[in-house]
Amino acid sequence: MAFQSPMPSQQFLLEVFRRVDKDNSGSISADELQQALSNGTWNPFNPETVRLMIGMFDKQNRGTVSFHDFGALWKYVTDWQNCFRSFDSDGSGNIDKNELKTALTAFGYRLSDNLIDILIRKFDRYGKGTILFDDFIQCCIILYTLTSSFRQYDTDMDGVITIHYEQFLSMVFSLKI
Amino acid sequence: MLSNDEECGMTTIKGGYPGGYPGQGQGGYPGGQQGGYGYPGQQPQPGYGAPGGYPPPSGYAPPPASVPGVSPETQRLFTMVDRDRSGKISSDELKTALVNGNGENFSDVACKLMIGMFNRDKTGMVDIHEFEKLYNYINQWLNIFKTYDRDSSGHIDESELTQALGQMGFRFSPNFIKFLVTKCDARSHKNVSVDQFIVLCIQIQRFTEAFRMRDSQQTGTITINFEDFLTVALDCST
Repeated sequence: MAFQSPMPSQQFLLEVFRRVDKDNSGSISADELQQALSNGTWNPFNPETVRLMIGMFDKQNRGTVSFHDFGALWKYVTDWQNCFRSFDSDGSGNIDKNELKTALTAFGYRLSDNLIDILIRKFDRYGKGTILFDDFIQCCIILYTLTSSFRQYDTDMDGVITIHYEQFLSMVFSLKI
Repeated sequence: MLSNDEECGMTTIKGGYPGGYPGQGQGGYPGGQQGGYGYPGQQPQPGYGAPGGYPPPSGYAPPPASVPGVSPETQRLFTMVDRDRSGKISSDELKTALVNGNGENFSDVACKLMIGMFNRDKTGMVDIHEFEKLYNYINQWLNIFKTYDRDSSGHIDESELTQALGQMGFRFSPNFIKFLVTKCDARSHKNVSVDQFIVLCIQIQRFTEAFRMRDSQQTGTITINFEDFLTVALDCST
């Protein structure tokens, strides 16, 4: 992605880590991460996005992120922030339908307006027809997951696949249960 | 008993699926499970309600005028769950009121999914009438779950899940059942809690319905393009 930020110094990361790790447990829980992140409103950060992110960087499978993996998580959030800002062209702090379309097109997706509408409807947690930073991340992660599972079967890359019932179910079950 | 089902699209699978799906064992697809579960004399669940105790405030807020057509029990629960006194119950309020067998609150996904099934105006909140149906619906699921959770551990394992889904008419391969359990229990790959079970069943039913619509020849295989695939995956989940 073109939104890559440099990895900050260990000293800087340690300071941020300590501030986020409120109970000084040496690792960051989903709750701690949620409290540390902001979506630009007073509403809490999307818990599902937090869960997805913890899942990505929780190398020990404990539901928390240790300092060792914190740098990667910090960079991930920062890169998303840059990405979000660059597509929020009117600087409104949220992404509307056109901005989402531009963003997804830039990522290489060719999606119909109908599908963009579905995405907005699904990830707009406040019914405003726009999506916030945290919801944008969730939207992109889920799209990415679904796309990867589709691609696995689309060996000839023609955008059409033929699959069995159980294969189909495993693919669409990419969301949390 | 499962009177809500038609209304909320829960078990919209009608009329069986005669051909069955090759490799799925007999039946393959369920044919509407209404008759399958009869749970007479449903009791309000012990797990349901306010775990930490959120009694209705006594000093102020006079008891709400009784709503015609709603049982006093529903009214009492509604008042308890509607913590902000908005007259509507949000997914967050529902979550606070529901606890699974592990002592955890129900997941956001489960609460959103269920609220979404009963809230007609798509506000993400249910009023007292919708709540009554939702409450019955949840109780039905709790009862179903309990019959499979024989040791009352609060969760079911792979073989119990196979049985439960089998009762609903789904014949899945052991591998697929394993996949589902692993999705639910990423750490030990063993346990499915009641809220996960509810989400699983609802989603399997929806996705199966979507699959079936595209499998007009009933061959057990569909050909689907990327956009349609995304639409199904996104539309049928929460």
